[in-house]
Formats: sequence, C-alpha cells, structure tokens
Amino acid sequence: MGDHSNCGCTRRQSLRSILGASLVIPAILSDLMAADVSAPSDANPLAPKAPQFPARAKRVIFLHMSGGVSHVDTFDPKPKLFADNGKTIQGGKYLTQPKWKFQHYGKSGTEVSDLLPHMAECVDDMCVIRTMKNDHNDHFEATLGIHTGSVTFTRPSIGSWTSYGLGTFNQNLPSFLVLAPQLPYAGSQVWGSDFLPAIHQGTRIVPGPEPIPNLKPRTPSPEIQEMELGLIDFFNTEHLRGRDSDPALAARIKSFETAFHMQKEAPEAFDLSKETDATLKLYGLERGSTEGFAWQCLVARRLAERGVRFIELIDTGSNTNWDAHGDMQTCVPLAKNIDQPIAGLLKDLKSRGLLQDTLVVWTTEFGRTPFSAMQDAKGREHHARAYSSWLAGGGVKGGITYGQTDDYGIEVASNQMHIHDFHATILYLLGMDHTKLTFRHAGRDYRLTDVAGQVIKEIVA
Amino acid sequence: MGVALVGICFLFPSVLQAQTPDQAEFFEAKIRPVLASKCNACHTGLKSGGLQLDSRRNILKGGNDGPVIVLGKPDDSLLIAAISHTHERIKMPLNGPKLDDETIENFKKWIQNGAVWPESPEEFFDGQVRPVLAANCLPCHGATPMGGFRLDTRESLLKGGPLGAALVPGDADKSLLIQAVQQTHDKLKMPPGKKLSEAEIADLVAWVKNGAVWAGGALTASPDDYQITPEQKAFWSFQPIKKPTVPRIKNAARAKTPVDNFILAQLEAKGLKLAPAAGKRALIRRATYDLTGLPPTPQEVDAFLADRSPQAFAKVVDRLLASPHYGERWGRHWLDVARYADTAGDSADYPIPQAYLYRNYVIYSFNRDKPYDEFIREQIAGDLMPAKSEPEKWEHSVATGYLAIAKRFSVKPENYKYLTIDDTIDNLGKTFLGMSVACARCHNHKYDPIPSKDYYALYGILDSTRFPFAGSENINEQRDLVYRLPPEKVEAALKPFNDQLKPLDEQLKKLEEEKKVLDKAGNGAGADDTPHPVAAHGTRTVQDIDKDIREVKKQRQKVRADMPTLETAYAVAEETAHDSPVLLRGDPAKKGDVVPRHFLQILGGQALPTDCKASGRLQLAQWLADPKNPLTARVMVNRIWEYHFGKGIVATPSDFGKRGKAPSHPELLDYLASRFIESGWSIKAMHRLIMLSQTYQLSSNGPHEDAAMDPGNDLYWKFNRQRLDAESIRDAILKVSGDLDSTVGTGHPFPPPVAWNWTQHKPFAAVYETDRRSVYLMVQRSQRHPYLSVFDGADPNVSTPGRDSSITPLQALFAMNSEFIHDCSEHWAARLMDEAPDNARRLDMVFELAFARPPTALEKKKALAYLDQSRQKMGAADVGPDLLTQESWASFLRAVLATNEFMYID
Repeated sequence: MGDHSNCGCTRRQSLRSILGASLVIPAILSDLMAADVSAPSDANPLAPKAPQFPARAKRVIFLHMSGGVSHVDTFDPKPKLFADNGKTIQGGKYLTQPKWKFQHYGKSGTEVSDLLPHMAECVDDMCVIRTMKNDHNDHFEATLGIHTGSVTFTRPSIGSWTSYGLGTFNQNLPSFLVLAPQLPYAGSQVWGSDFLPAIHQGTRIVPGPEPIPNLKPRTPSPEIQEMELGLIDFFNTEHLRGRDSDPALAARIKSFETAFHMQKEAPEAFDLSKETDATLKLYGLERGSTEGFAWQCLVARRLAERGVRFIELIDTGSNTNWDAHGDMQTCVPLAKNIDQPIAGLLKDLKSRGLLQDTLVVWTTEFGRTPFSAMQDAKGREHHARAYSSWLAGGGVKGGITYGQTDDYGIEVASNQMHIHDFHATILYLLGMDHTKLTFRHAGRDYRLTDVAGQVIKEIVA
Repeated sequence: MGVALVGICFLFPSVLQAQTPDQAEFFEAKIRPVLASKCNACHTGLKSGGLQLDSRRNILKGGNDGPVIVLGKPDDSLLIAAISHTHERIKMPLNGPKLDDETIENFKKWIQNGAVWPESPEEFFDGQVRPVLAANCLPCHGATPMGGFRLDTRESLLKGGPLGAALVPGDADKSLLIQAVQQTHDKLKMPPGKKLSEAEIADLVAWVKNGAVWAGGALTASPDDYQITPEQKAFWSFQPIKKPTVPRIKNAARAKTPVDNFILAQLEAKGLKLAPAAGKRALIRRATYDLTGLPPTPQEVDAFLADRSPQAFAKVVDRLLASPHYGERWGRHWLDVARYADTAGDSADYPIPQAYLYRNYVIYSFNRDKPYDEFIREQIAGDLMPAKSEPEKWEHSVATGYLAIAKRFSVKPENYKYLTIDDTIDNLGKTFLGMSVACARCHNHKYDPIPSKDYYALYGILDSTRFPFAGSENINEQRDLVYRLPPEKVEAALKPFNDQLKPLDEQLKKLEEEKKVLDKAGNGAGADDTPHPVAAHGTRTVQDIDKDIREVKKQRQKVRADMPTLETAYAVAEETAHDSPVLLRGDPAKKGDVVPRHFLQILGGQALPTDCKASGRLQLAQWLADPKNPLTARVMVNRIWEYHFGKGIVATPSDFGKRGKAPSHPELLDYLASRFIESGWSIKAMHRLIMLSQTYQLSSNGPHEDAAMDPGNDLYWKFNRQRLDAESIRDAILKVSGDLDSTVGTGHPFPPPVAWNWTQHKPFAAVYETDRRSVYLMVQRSQRHPYLSVFDGADPNVSTPGRDSSITPLQALFAMNSEFIHDCSEHWAARLMDEAPDNARRLDMVFELAFARPPTALEKKKALAYLDQSRQKMGAADVGPDLLTQESWASFLRAVLATNEFMYID
C-alpha cells in the first residue's frame, strides 16, 4: 500500500481514492464522512460528547499494579513501624518494619521509599492518596472492585463508563484500550462493558507483533486488500440502492473505512521507531524492544496524543506479581519494571503539555499488612482496609498527600478514600457527576459508584 | 428524672384507659407474670391463632377467632372461656394444666375493671410508636431519605431536615412530625396521599408530650409490615391473562392470522399504511435464519419459488421447525437468558465437563417442542418428578442443570452459597417471571411489590437444595454431582476407593485444622492460599504442615486416578429442608426473622403444604408453570416475539415490572399468551401463529409516510432489518464455505480431572477450536470468547435478554484480516473450482448461497472484471500460476462475506 500520508492529501481523500477506484462513494457515506466530529448519534455512539460540566481532564491513563502493592513500603511512611519492629499488637501479631527507607522529595517534601526512586522525583506532580479502601481482601474481588466498584457481581469497568459518558476523540482507534501482557485476576471482566453497549468494552492489547487482533492484512499484497475494500463498497452501495436509508447499514459501511485507517494508524501508534533516543532513555526503553512496562508507558503516551479516551496499563497478571506473601524482595524486579517508565511517562507528558489535561492514575487492588504472624517475616499479606494510590495531572493538585493512616498504616485515621470516592473523583475530573452518569438496566439506573461515593474536592486544583 | 418518669409512665393513654395506681399494681403483680409465663410462648412473635397477648392494643385487637376480651364483661370474653376450659374448642394454655381458680378470677376482675395495662415509656414506644413510624414513614425516610430527612433514630428526628427539627420533645404542637401527621402544616401533609388514624395520631402526640422516649435501635422495616398497595396490585402485568376478542379491521384482506388484526387495528387507528409483502427470496432467507440460524440452500430457495400453493410458506415453516438445527438456534436464545457457561465463575474459573449435558438438553427440548410448562418444571425440579423410564429420569436430572450452572463466587465458593443462591433467584425471577426479584435481597423492592420476605421465602427453597461443587483453588475436584446409576450401585462401584479415601480425608481435615490454629495465631490473611511464611507452632511449622498436606493430596490423587468414571450430571439434589431467616442487608451474618418458604405474594403467595418435608422446589416449579400465573406465559410469548421481530411487545423482556416498558400491544400480548396456554404451551405453535401472519411477512422497506410518523416502527408497519448475531455469522460463513460440521456437539476437551490445580493466580483459561456450530463453542465466565465478544455474544456472567447489534471497526478488521475468514474463503474458493467449470456459473452459485438470489447484470459484469483484475494482481504478488484463479476467487469471496447483504436480514 502506498504511504498516503506522504502524498500530500488528507486521510479522507486517500480513502476516497481507494474507494473511488471501484465506484462512487454513496451519498450517505460522504455525509457521514463530512461529519467527522459530529454530535452523538445512533450511528456513532463513540462520537465525542460534551462533559456534564467543564472537565479538568480529557483522558485517563490508568496504571493498575496487579497483586497488591505494599503501601508501607512505597508511599505511606511509618517511622513508628520502623521503631516498633517486632513488637506484638492486638491478636498476637508482630509489627514488621518496611524493607525500604523513606526520603523526602521535591518542593513538597512528600516521602517515598527507596523502592521507587524515579517516581519519587515526580511527587510535586502527584496527589498521593494514603487512605484508599477496597471492599474485599481477595485478588479477584478487589481487582473487580477497583475497576467496576463491585466486588461481587459483574459490572461495567470505569473505562467503559468513561467511554459511554464521553465517547472518544479518535474514531480510528477504540475508545478504551487496555495494554496487558497477561490476563489479570477476574480476567476480561476487568475491562468488560457488562450491560453498557458492547462498543464501550475495553480492547485488550497484548504487547507483541499483533497488539490489536486482526490488524495485519493477510492478502498477498496491499493492493489486493484495497481492491477487496473497493468491492465491498460496490456491493454495499448496490445493496443500499434498493433500500430505505438505514443508519446501521451506513454505519457499517463507515466501519470499514475506520478499520482501514485503524490498520494504518494503530501500527503507527505502536511503532516507536521515530521516538528519539532521549525519549527512549527517559522511559528506560531499549530501542527495538516491545516488552515491559516501559513499552506500555511510551505507547500510552502515543495513544493519549492520538485521542484515545481511556488507556489502561496493567503491569503483570494473576501471577508473578506484587503478591509478596513469601518475600517482599520479590517486589524489586516489579518495581524496576514500572518505576522509571512511569516517571518517564509523567515527565514526557508534562514536557509536551499533555499532563494538564491527562489524568494519570496509579493504583492497585489493595495494600499489604504492616504486621505478620511471626517475627521477622519476609512477606506481607493482603490489606484492603488502608492502602496507597496516587493521581497526577488532569486537574489534580500536585505535591500534596491526602488522608492519613494510623501510626502503623493499619487503619485509616482520617479522610478515607473508598474506591467509590476514588471513582467519583475521577469522573468529576472528567466533567461528569457520578450520580448522573447512569444506565437503565433491569429496571434500575446503575452507576459506577452504586449508591455511594463522594467527590473529594480537596485534591482538585 | 427516674422518679418523675415512674409517675408519668402510668399515664400513657393507650386507647383511653382510666387507671389507678392500684389497678396498675394489680396488673403487674397478678396478670403480667401469668401472661409472660403461660401465654407469651405462643402469643407474641409466633402469633398462634393470629393472636398476640403482649400489649393491651393487641389483646383488644384479638386473633383469628375475633376479639378475646370485652372490656367490663369477663363472661363475654373469649379469653376467660378459654382459660376456664368452658369454650368447646379452645382450651388454654394449650396441652397444659388449667390455670388455678384464683388466677382465673384475677383475669375476670382485670377485665371487669377495664383491663388496665400500664406501659413503660419504652413499651409504649415499642408497641404504639415504632410500628406506626416504621410502616408509614420509614419507606421514604430511611437510609436513602426523601427530602434529605430521615427519621429512623431519635437523633435524626431531632436533627430534622431542610425545614428544621422534626421533633421537640415535650412540645407536640411545635414538632413538625406532629403537624405533618395532623396535616395542619401548610405544606407538609404526611404520609402522602393518606392520613393516619385518630388513634395513631393520638399515640404520637402523647409520645412527644411525654418526652419522646426511644427504645431499642434505629427503626428497621419489619417484613411483617409489608403491604402491597391497591395501585401495585392493579399494575398491568399482574392482572390475569384474559383472551381478548380479535379486533375488527377495515383492511381485512391484509390479515392472514388474528395477529394481524391486532397490528392493523392500531395502524388503522393512527392512519398508517402497511408495507408491501416481502419477496419470496427475502422471506425464505428471513425465516431460515430466524428458525435455524443458517442460510437457506439454493435448492430450498428454488423449491419455495416453484411452490405456488397458498400453503407454500407454511410448508417452509414446518420444514424448518422439524430441522434439528431449529433447536440449536432457539436453544441458544434460552441459553442466553439462562446465562449458560462451561465454567463455574469462581476465582479459578473451574471447568464443568458435564455442563454440556444441560446445553444439549435445552437444544433437544426445543427440537421436541417440549411444552413450556414441562420445560420449566424439569429445569426447576426435574429430579423430583415422576419418570416413565430410566432415560427420562436421567433427562429430568440433567434439566436441573439450569439451577446448577448458577455462578460460583470467590476463591472459596464452598463458603459463598448465599451468593450463588442470589444469582439463582436473580436469574429465575428475570427468566420466568420478568421480575427483578433479587432487588429484594437487601431491602424490600423499591419499585415492584416484592418484599424481602418473599426473596427469603424463595431463598429457603434453594438453600434446601444441594448445588453441585465444580472444584476450587483449595478443593481441586468436583463434589456433589448427580450420578446416573442408582445409589446402591454407585456405592458398590466406589466403595473400595472411598474406603481408601476416607482415612486420607480425615488426615487432611486434621492437618487443615492444625494449620488453621497456626493461621489464627498468625495474621489470618484471609482466604488466600499462597504459601504462607513459616510460623513456629510447637515443633511443627506451617511449612511442615503444608508438606504433609501435599503428600496426603498426592496419595488421594493416586486413588482417584484409579477410580472408575461414573456418568454424572452437573445437577441439583435435595438437601435438608428448612426455612431461611431474612438476612438483613443481605448479610449472612445478620439473621432476621425466619420466613416460611412460599411464592411471591403478588403472584398468590402460595405456601408449601404443612406436611412438606422436601425443599419445595417441586411446588416452586408448579407455581412458576401455573397457567394462572399472570407473568409466565406473557414473558415467554414476548421473548418469542422479540426473537422474531428484533424487539418485544414489551421492550424490556426480562422486566415486566414498574421500571420496565409497558407493552406496545397489550391485547396482542394477552392473545398470544392465551393461545400459548391453549396450545399446551407449544412454542412451535407460537412460531406458526406469528410467522404465518402478514406482519411477519412484510417487506423491510415501507411507506415513507409511515417512517415520518413512526420512525421506530413501534407499530409494525414493516419488518425490521436485523443484523445476524454472532453465532449466525460464524455458522453461515462455515456453511457457505462448506466447512461446517453439522453434527451435534459433545463435551469439551478439558484436561482430565486428576490434573486440575487451577488457582486464582493460574485460573483455567482455554479456547477450543471446532467447526461445529457456535452454540457448541466452549464459553468461559472469566474470559470472553475472543470471537463471540467481538460480535456482541452473550456475557455468560449475567442473563442476556437481547443481543446488541453493535457496529465496530474491530468487526470490520475481523472481516478483512482474520485467519477464520481467510481460511473459509480459501476453502470455499477451492470447492468452487471443483463444483463449476467457469466463472459465470461459479458466480451464480456464490450469489445463491450467500444472498439467496442470482447476481444482477451489473454485479456480474463487475464481478467478472474483478476476478480478472485480481488474478493479475495475484500474479504480481507472486501467487503461483496454478493458484491464480482460486486465489482471485478467495479474494472475491472475502468481499462477499463482508457485505451488508450477507450480514443483514431483510
């Protein structure tokens, strides 16, 4: 296929030239094409929609760390936990000191542990939330909880809700993309649309040669595929001729145009060859590598630039993850995998002016127990009662922390951020009232936040 | 204050009792102790004989036999007759010795003097105030308070709402609560639309005047207080089904069946015209996909075109209904609603090798036109029904797979039966009744007349039912499945192995307990089973125990590997029958009142027979399948209509409640429901009734004037164009390309059970390829099938009452670039080379197969030119010379399979 971007014509014209080779474009199709950014219509549920009120963030990059990251070893400094290491608490358990020391960073002086030295450099852009609360202590349920608000029953993912509420900018790419090297706990339910229209479900991208399924042409030559598209268009035009106008038929004709562009644009979005050495270095990515979180982070920035509404990155899957029961040292390679790439992503977004309207969310399904069954335990167990996450960019106050846990990081002491509050606040930053983003299903208006959740306005800039 | 209160407490004027301190003392000394010790065991909460002897008000109210005391007239009082044993039937205390004469005299004296019953402020609140507030105010001013005002605690009353405090203790006139219930306030008149009785208001006033003493915790809705209102009873879907008279219409010539009269009557009333009849080619394509999910063969199309008899279409419908592929299509609709899956849905998503038996039972039942009422009964209680033969008995057991396939939850599904039951009630309510019964799990249903008590009445039935266990992270094997062999034969076959397993199981249990003790001493991380750190406990550590456990499990596996594989079904069985308590807020740790098992009150509230020793499933099955049940037939005929036309007469097929949509043609709905029951619940009879109507046979192009007046085609002036669903797309492509394996599907190639060790960290995940029809694909709960999810396939985690027809670029990419499409087009092209000698004849064959019509002259010209051109391009792309024609055809066929004409039914 010729590289149409080099021929001086717009993409729309280039499709015309392909289809034009076979026959004229049907009137309805050109109408649709004229209205690239149209009001939402039945024909295109993904057309960008105005938020309910002015939005602080236009898009989300949602970083989910699978397995449960220890809060007391990363973002929740507990000097007393160091001091009282080995002391017993109620229930005969032993306090277990963090495995990494904490230091103050940035102008804000926010403390971060030595496990994440690169992310630490970005604290002035972060609002570190130290009082997250999830509703379940098991991976499967808690992973569903942080994504859907429900720890038991299947519900739409936050990415699907966002797509449903706002549509997306780039009609040539899915509205909700999930970059996940492995299946997470609860599998594809994590990005499922459930009762929302299926078009809002997440499309999973597996890092590798074919990130989006069926993206690579299989015809013997690109020319033959163009011919096939022309022939499809001919048949569809003939078909339309004998029939009353039907938005579904027209939309399906249009979907081939979009697919054709996606076929070109998506590989381009995933092609890092034109990134400079400096950028690659910022993320800690080796040239040519398509693996690791650095690749995911850099691709996320490219997708954000290309107008994808909700981009989720999952670092690992349901095994070999942050679930450090046996030994906290197993977190070292996991931290190394994410630390510099995430810092790189924040710095890169900032230098390109994208951070101000891109909300970056860093979270996990739960934290880990600050105590253990025995003295000098190497690992930690699940702890959903209090843990840490952070938000950056997209209208969030940087350089602050929100909420406090008790002296040992066991319970929330003040300003709890329940997952419903977390979701309500994210939707608020996107210009949506979580109580008004509803979908009627089985006789009830469902929400991401069920019947709870409060927007935490203290952290909004 | 204490002293003062004692004075006040004798002054509560509960239904005007004049009393003296003497009388109060008399009651406390002589009457109350007797009531408490001799009567209240049966006559408070249990309400034996409908009678509660726990307050003056309740005594005056009486029981099933009427009032029990007549003030001032002991000789006319039933209570005296009962305790004196002079009543011919009622002799109290029941089965106990008669009260002594002095006590009986005391009761007479007490009644003679006006039955004085002094109440403490707390008793007064509990007896007179709490029930009034709970019944009349709490429904709106509870946890989700209307007007921002809740009154479930004294504090919340004092705090009040936007208008200020609702309660001023001691001052009734200043209390908004009182002004509102007296309806003397300008705006506030409560409860909305009615007024409390004078007595109730008087009690509230007295309560406020005397300090508004509150006893016990917050108000909670007592299930006993639930009242279905006349408005709720009058809701359309709860009315008995009445067969309406067929309306007369002007344009009688266009009516083929009574269905058309109902449709035409509305169209004529609104001045809309009917679309012309569909062409024969469009019609046979429509009907064939509709009934079998496959395209018609060119021979079938030719035969229909050649048949000029008036019965030609009826013959097509009969032929299609007799096809074994009918059940594969319509069974799939049912599996959508029943949220069928081949895995359990727990955190490790254990596979269920036997699930397919239920799937095939559904397909078989549709093919046999099993009467729908029987189909319901078998799925709910097949194992409890009489059977004429062993195969029938087995079929009945397999049918209960409907209940068995409910979703399992969490890492330890063995601990979460209550969620599985909830999933069952949710599905059962929606599937059979179109009612979101599961909304009543945590509270009374907010919109429909379903109290929590009804939910737990059904819950008791399902909790008395044994659900099979699919395996889990901690227990890697199936348990409690149903054997095909009779129990004694199972016992004989398995005994030698069970004898070996038994000591191992005991050992295992001991080890688990030992570990639990250690864990409890440790940090109790929850259900997670990843290796725990070493913890010292005596001389043994958790690691030691784990090692032992692994060793014992290994020995168990050895025994299990040698066990004979007996035929089993993933089906339910009876368990010890019991009623369930209400679980407050749905929390199994918070048990409320026990509820006798019964059916939904709004649908009759039928109870189990008093001597019922079984779960009650058999009765539940009968209640559901009762022709008098106003919902069952309506919901099913609406589903049938929906699958034929793309939308239901009720547009919310699983919600016939207040929040659902009202029927567009209520009389037609009832007509169909009546005919359904009359036909002996024959689903195939419904297909004939609907498909032979003019309404079904209309063109999908209609008069433009109609499109302006009714753009949504709510009145059915034309047929709605429909996109093929995921299964039909795949099956049709396999069929036209010649790749379809049309045999009946069996089980899936799951790994053998001895190898099962899936966990939340390494859950079961597989995709099995097959060329069989899509209904036979293995569907998993934790992972959508990669193909089905692209084309809006059903989500097996939840009931799917209707499919989306989304249009996405990912679907277009599938049509352009997928291996499946490329394989099928290659195979089809290869076959074409053999089947016809030249391109012109090949083209005819392709069009007849894919579109059920011959190509037009323009299409022919275009196609032949395309084949030539693509042949050249193939050559240029280094395709071998002997393959050029075939490859150019493969390219052409890919375009055919991607067309709107292939994907849509006119």
